[in-house]
Amino acid sequence: MNKELEHKFVTELEDNQNIVHKVCSLYTNDRDSHNDLFQEITIQLWRAYPKFRGEAKFSTWMYRVALNTAITLYRKSKRRVKTQDFDSVIYKIRTDEYDDTEERQLKLIYDAVKQLGDIDKALVFLYLEDKDYSEIAATLGITEVNARVKMNRIKNKLRTILNP
Amino acid sequence: MMDELELLKKDWQKKEAHLPKLSFDEIYKMIWKKSSSIVKWIFYISIAEFLFWIAMSFIPLENDELTGVGAKTFQYIENVIEILGYVVIVYFIFKFYLNYKKINTTDSAKSLMKKIITTRKTVMQYVWFNLGLFAALMIIVFLESIFYNAEYADLSQRISEADNPALIWLIVGVLLVFTIVIFGVLLWLFYRLIYGILLKRLNANYRELKKLEV
Repeated sequence: MNKELEHKFVTELEDNQNIVHKVCSLYTNDRDSHNDLFQEITIQLWRAYPKFRGEAKFSTWMYRVALNTAITLYRKSKRRVKTQDFDSVIYKIRTDEYDDTEERQLKLIYDAVKQLGDIDKALVFLYLEDKDYSEIAATLGITEVNARVKMNRIKNKLRTILNP
Repeated sequence: MMDELELLKKDWQKKEAHLPKLSFDEIYKMIWKKSSSIVKWIFYISIAEFLFWIAMSFIPLENDELTGVGAKTFQYIENVIEILGYVVIVYFIFKFYLNYKKINTTDSAKSLMKKIITTRKTVMQYVWFNLGLFAALMIIVFLESIFYNAEYADLSQRISEADNPALIWLIVGVLLVFTIVIFGVLLWLFYRLIYGILLKRLNANYRELKKLEV
């Protein structure tokens, strides 16, 4: 019975691991931290899994646990060995593929997002994942109106970072 | 100028192709690893605090050789404080357990943070209660020793016979209060250090979400 549950959980997480990787890439700066956070999110998801009974989609349920772990539960490790910037690795491959100004601009915007605070990042992440404001609000525990207000402030913040 | 986030959003889905891909076995291994979440740390530190103060309550207080009419009253007060201490420990452990159980990763971010902070506050209240109790006991034991302990009877006798007994008593009192305050401040700093490091980010994030409501 338990083996069955383990198997089911790991399979579902394997299929949806992109969500967790995207959270990790927003909240960490190097590969070690990325893996650390991925592991902690996996542990938290597994712990909460027995209570997950398909009342929501597996992926929807994952967003909350993953973001809560990144924002609240995860302790950033002290060791800041900057081996290689993880995202620059991704972008290096991409710029080789098709190098143009839009690509460069995207990199700048992405860097600006990474400078935002934990809560702002969560809003941006959910927005990029195409979640509507009612879901963003429910995930963070604020009202829909406040989620919209906050999102507008974030857009302004990003503009200030990009055009100082 | 196009909305920056819209631009990023269009690219966001394309980015997926470049994300790492873990195998079933790699993920399977992870679910048995130990968590290092702050909730776990708070849990362990809180348990350690409970154990520390419970251990402290077992330290026997020297109250033999007490003589005099008032001695009985003091011993009575001591017993009451001791029983009160035990009742309060049970209450706090129960409350801590309930708070801890309520922590749920599928809550909204704000409600999760609030529950963690509440759990922490319960233990903090317990610590302050104990500090208060400790200070009260120190004062009582001190007064007892001065007035009713045969060993120190001579001392209080000599102070009373001195030129300025009020001043000497005042100095003794100030010293006692000073000791209690120093002890309290040291402990407070110690706790600030532990939880300051542990909860700094959580508190800041909680304040940010809370601020939106105003």
